[in-house]
Amino acid sequence: MSFDQLAQTCERVAATSSRNRKVALLGAYFGELDEANLVRAVRFLTGQPLPGDKLSLGHAALRGALIEATGWDLETVRLCYREVGDTGETVGLLLHAATKNLPLTLEQAEQEYLRIFAARRTADRVARLAEAYLRYRPLTVKYFVKVITGNLRIGLQERLVEEAVAAATGHTAEQLRTANHKVGRLCDVARAAYRQELDAVKARIFHPMEFMLAKPIEQAPEIDDASDWLVEDKYDGIRSQVHAGGGQVKIFSRGLEEVTAAFPEVSAAFALLPVDIAIDGELLAFRDGRALNFTVLQQRLQRKTISAEMLAGIPVIFMAYDLLHLDGEATPGLPIEDRRALLARYLPEAAMLSPQKPLESVAAIDQEFDAARARGNEGLLLKKRGSLYEPGKRGNTWLKVKRVFATLDVVITAAEQGHGRRATMLSDYTFGVRDGDRFVNVGKAYSGLTDDEIRQLTRVLRGLTQEKYGRVMLVKPEVVLEVAFDGIQQSPRHKSGFALRFPRILRWRQDKLAAEIDTLEAVRALYTASLK
Amino acid sequence: MPQVKALSVQFSPQGIWIPEIDLWLDPRHPVANAWFSHAHSDHATGRPAEVWATPRTLELYRLRWPEMPDTAQTLHPMDFGVVTAFRGATITAWPAGHIVGAAQICVEKDGYRVVYTGDLKLKPPICGQITTVVTCDRLIVESTFGLPIYHFLDQAEARRRILQFAQETLADGATPVFLGYPLGRGQEIAHVLSTGGIPTSVHGAMHKFLPIYEAEGYAFPGVEAYHSKVDRHRALVVVPGMRDYLEAKGDVRVAYVSGWAALANARTRSNAQELIPYSDHADFSELLDLVAATGAGQIDIVHGYAEPFARILRDRGFNAQAAVSQMARQEEEGSA
Repeated sequence: MSFDQLAQTCERVAATSSRNRKVALLGAYFGELDEANLVRAVRFLTGQPLPGDKLSLGHAALRGALIEATGWDLETVRLCYREVGDTGETVGLLLHAATKNLPLTLEQAEQEYLRIFAARRTADRVARLAEAYLRYRPLTVKYFVKVITGNLRIGLQERLVEEAVAAATGHTAEQLRTANHKVGRLCDVARAAYRQELDAVKARIFHPMEFMLAKPIEQAPEIDDASDWLVEDKYDGIRSQVHAGGGQVKIFSRGLEEVTAAFPEVSAAFALLPVDIAIDGELLAFRDGRALNFTVLQQRLQRKTISAEMLAGIPVIFMAYDLLHLDGEATPGLPIEDRRALLARYLPEAAMLSPQKPLESVAAIDQEFDAARARGNEGLLLKKRGSLYEPGKRGNTWLKVKRVFATLDVVITAAEQGHGRRATMLSDYTFGVRDGDRFVNVGKAYSGLTDDEIRQLTRVLRGLTQEKYGRVMLVKPEVVLEVAFDGIQQSPRHKSGFALRFPRILRWRQDKLAAEIDTLEAVRALYTASLK
Repeated sequence: MPQVKALSVQFSPQGIWIPEIDLWLDPRHPVANAWFSHAHSDHATGRPAEVWATPRTLELYRLRWPEMPDTAQTLHPMDFGVVTAFRGATITAWPAGHIVGAAQICVEKDGYRVVYTGDLKLKPPICGQITTVVTCDRLIVESTFGLPIYHFLDQAEARRRILQFAQETLADGATPVFLGYPLGRGQEIAHVLSTGGIPTSVHGAMHKFLPIYEAEGYAFPGVEAYHSKVDRHRALVVVPGMRDYLEAKGDVRVAYVSGWAALANARTRSNAQELIPYSDHADFSELLDLVAATGAGQIDIVHGYAEPFARILRDRGFNAQAAVSQMARQEEEGSA
C-alpha cells in the first residue's frame, strides 16, 4: 500500500469536519494494510518517521532542502511559508510540476527517512531530503514532510487514529484507548490490535514513553480563567524519564535514548524503591537549593565515564514532574492531580518533586515568570487541572510561557558566506560587545534579515574586510545590529567568556555607531541577574 | 532603433493615470475620463463624467450605479479589438477572461504601447471571453496570486470538482452550499451546477446578474432565487457571510471555490470543508507566462504581492517594479 494513498486519505480527512467521516476514511485505508504497513502508517500519522530513533530535522533544514531542490531564494520561501503557515504544505506547493512523480510505498518512505537519518552532517541530510523532494508527487511530499514536522494539521487527533485502528482491526475504541494508555505508543498498540493480542498488552517499564510537550505561548492571552490552571517552573536541564523496578534503573532522554551511565547518583537514588515506577522529569545540576546553569550539566553529558570528582563538582538531581507508571499500571489516563499525589507518595527522598501551585490570576503569570527567572529557571509551565498525560502531544493542556530574555546592540566582527542561494552573500555574522576600546565576541547569528538587507550588508561588509580565512572575513567593527536572545551562558569559546543563547537579529541599526553599543559589563550584569 | 516617445504613467492611491491623454484607469476618486476594466466594485466605482468600457461592463456597472438625472455621465461602449482614436492616441479593449465583460486596455501613441490588464486570467474561464495576449512596451499587471504557491484548476477540472461535491453531498442527504461573491464566481458555479443537472438556488445578489450572463450565451436551466429556507434537494450558491445562518438551519456541507482555496488555511478562514482552487485571476505560472508573452520592456505590478512578484520577475531578468505596495488582504478577499 502506498504512501501516496495515505496522502490522499489525509487530504480527504482534512476536507471533512465530521469526526465519524474522518474515522471511517482512515479506517477504510487501514483495513487494506498488512501488519507491517499498518504499524508504519500509524507511526507516520503520529509524527514518528523512524521506528526507533528521532529524525530531529528542524524547519530550517526542511526549508533548506526546498531551496536546494527548487532553486527558490530564501526570501520567497519565507514569504510563501508565511502565507501558507505549514512547512509540509509549502514544500508541496513549491514543488508543483517540478518532481518526477514516482510512486512511493510506505516501506520506501521509511527507507527514505532512514537514508536521511543515516547522514551525519546536516548538509548531507538536507541534500538527501532535497533528492527525496524531487522524486515523488508534490502531494505525497507534502505529507512526507508533515510526518517529519509531526503535525499534520488535518484535524486528526491521536484519538481518531485510535478509533480508526479499532475499526480496522475489529475492536472497540475503548479497548484501543485502554491499551494505548498502558503503552503510550499507538503504533505498538496497532500491532497488537492487528494480531488480536490487545488483551495481552501490559503496562511495562524500561520502555520509554513519548514525552508530553508544552505549547509555547508568548504571554498569557490564551488563558481566560486562571482557576483552571496549575503553575510550576520550567527548568533548564535535560528532560528525561526514570524507570525503576526490581533494583534496576534506566534513564531515558528526550530522544528516548538511554543515558543512565552519565548519572550514577540519580540511578542510585531510585535503586531501592519498593515499587515499579516510571517518572517524567528533568535532570538538573543543582547546588544550594537552586538549579545551576545548563552549561554545567553539559560538561557531564560530554563525558564517557563520570569521575568521583565530577560527581562531587556537579551534583545532579532529578526534578520529578509527572508519573507515567506505577506497579504494573500505566497512569497517563489519570488526571494530573491524582498522578501528582501518587508521585509524591512514592518519590524517593533523593529526588525532588517540582513545586506546583494553583495559578491565582492571569495577571499573576508575569510575577510568577519573574520569580521563576529569579530562581534561575527558564520560565513557567502552566498545566490544566484535570488534564491527562498525553504522550507525544503538544496540546493545549500544557503551556510554556517564554519571553525574550533581553536585547543588546552589538557590532559585527566577522562575516561568513551563506549556503544555497545565499552562497554569494555574507549572511552569517559573528558579533561582539564593547570592552573598553576593544570588542569581544558574544555570539553568532544568521537569521532575521531579508535577502535585500543581506545583499546590502554584504556590500558594506566587503568594504570593511580586514582579513580573510577561507569563508570567514574579519571586518572592521562598524556595523551595529540589535539582537534578541533567550539567555546567556558562560562560554570558553568566546574571549568575552559569554555566549548568547538563540540569538536572532532584530534589525540593522544604521543609526548607531560601534562606540554606542552595549558593553561586556552589561552582558555580565545580565548573566549575573539570570543566576539570581 | 528610432527613439520612441514613451507614454508616461502615474500611480497613486487614487488610481492609475496617463497624463498625456488625461485618462484614469480604474480610478478610485472622481475624475473626468475613466477606463473601467471590469464591473467589480473595487474597479468600476463612482461616477466619472465619461466612462470607457466594454458594453457588458457598462451594463453591469449600471445595475450598481444607475443613471442619476442631475449627474451628467457619458458611457462609451468599446467592443473588443476595435481601435478607437483618443486625444491623439488610440485605445483598444482586449478580453481579460476575469468575468463577463472584463477587458485589458491597450493605449498606443507613436508606436509605443501601454497595456493595463485590470484583473485577468490566462486559462479559459467557465464564463467569459478567453484572454488575448497583447504585445506591448509597458505592461501594467495585477499580481493577486503572484507567489509560486498558487496553482489553480483549469475550468474542466473545476467543473468536475463542483459537480462531484454537489452530487456526493446530495447523495448523503445533505445540502451542498457554495460560497462565492455575487458577480462572476456565483454565476459560474450556478452555470456549472444547473447545466450539470443539479437543481440550484442562488442568492438574490447573484440572481440579478443572470440576465446579462444569459445574454452572453450562458444557460442557467431551472435556477431560482434563494428563499430563506434550506431545501434538501437543491444546491445553494450564496455569498460568504451566509454560511453560519445556513448551517444553523440544517445539514449543510460547504465548498469554497476561490484562488485562496489553494491553501489549506482557507478552511479556517472560510469555514468551508471542501476547497476548490479555481479563480478568475491568473495563478503564478499564468502571470509569468503572460509577462513573458507580452514582450514588455517595462512591467509595473499594481495589485496583490506587488513587491515580491516584482522581485521574482527581476531575478528572471525582467524590468519590473511594484507600482503599489502590497494591499490589505481583506480588500482582495471579496473578489478572488
